[in-house]
Amino acid sequence: MSGQQARRLVFDLRRDSPFSFECLACGRCCQGKVILVGPHEILGMARVLGAGTTEFLSRYTEGGGTTLRTTDDSRCVFVGPEGGCRVHPRRPLVCRLYPLGRQTGGDDGEAFALYGAHPGCQAVIGRDGTVASFLESQGVEPYVDWSRRYSELYIRMIEILGRAEPEPESAAAGPRVDKEQNRTPLTAKAPRAPSNTGRSARKKAGTQQSAERTGLPPDGSETWPAPTAQLSPWLDIDSSLAEYCAARGLAPPADIDAAIDLHIRAMEEWLEALETGPSVSA
Amino acid sequence: MGNNNQIKVLSRRDALKLAGTAAAFCASFGFLHREGEAGPHAQSQVKGELMRTHKIKWERAQIKWYAGDTLLHAGNFPPAVLKHLQSDVNASVQIKWYRSGQLLQSMHKIEAKW
Repeated sequence: MSGQQARRLVFDLRRDSPFSFECLACGRCCQGKVILVGPHEILGMARVLGAGTTEFLSRYTEGGGTTLRTTDDSRCVFVGPEGGCRVHPRRPLVCRLYPLGRQTGGDDGEAFALYGAHPGCQAVIGRDGTVASFLESQGVEPYVDWSRRYSELYIRMIEILGRAEPEPESAAAGPRVDKEQNRTPLTAKAPRAPSNTGRSARKKAGTQQSAERTGLPPDGSETWPAPTAQLSPWLDIDSSLAEYCAARGLAPPADIDAAIDLHIRAMEEWLEALETGPSVSA
Repeated sequence: MGNNNQIKVLSRRDALKLAGTAAAFCASFGFLHREGEAGPHAQSQVKGELMRTHKIKWERAQIKWYAGDTLLHAGNFPPAVLKHLQSDVNASVQIKWYRSGQLLQSMHKIEAKW
């Protein structure tokens, strides 16, 4: 889809707007798309594949862990050889929404836009139902709620960043005081954000460990893609919760939804510690 | 929540993780900044290109290397560079190729605004 098409999307549908979508699983919509994924979606898809999130991020994402990889012919990496989605039970929100796009927070609150039909798409778009009934059929609500909760964390992050400044470079070697500004840097007693390279991050999924031992992918059928650096260690829920739970003597939740809940709580605690740490008057 | 009138001085480690996480969430969830507002409120979930709605310029900058049609590597601009490009209307990007310190070719400047 081109940028020109994206800019033409009109968010003029509401939940009660007439809409129906009969998908015939032709798979056309899984080609030439940028599939953005959040940490909770990564966790869900990883579990469908029987993998850990560390392995999943390395094998199946790019863009710092925010985007699903595509094949050389620009298909989503999860389109199987016979068509069909290999992670369909836990497919991301944008895939559940298709052919709709969803926008919130604008002047009109929640709104939806309809794509033009993908070339060759065999689906039937009609008005036999409503946007709401379509969303229900796609199991969208939990994903919408997770997006809302993560968006609240994001807003807190932006607020902290807007009120913060990095400690001066000299602080690393000398006393932690900025003499020019006479400010005491925040030495946040924050729960440490999980490390990208820490030991706990390396001892997560068994498949990852075995793969590292053998140097081969777990299924032996593909070559490892070049690893990409994650934008944030928080994208790796398995690693994040391994560190979080280890520090508290807890067992990481086996249930996906419980793990997402705990991940959000761990991030809330991290931000809370940053927010309540030492500061100076503006 | 902390006091909004207080300036937080973050350690570089915390600042980097915070900025990186915010950037990741911005991309992952399609959270958008809206000019003229104190904070980010809008988000969009669209299967496709990141939305650039009215008032929105862009949220992510990426360089991709290709051999023919094959994507060899893709890398996002670092958050600090992004922040500069987004904040300065005159900011631009220029790509130059060197060999042994000698300039081979210089691309046109790419402006980070449209």
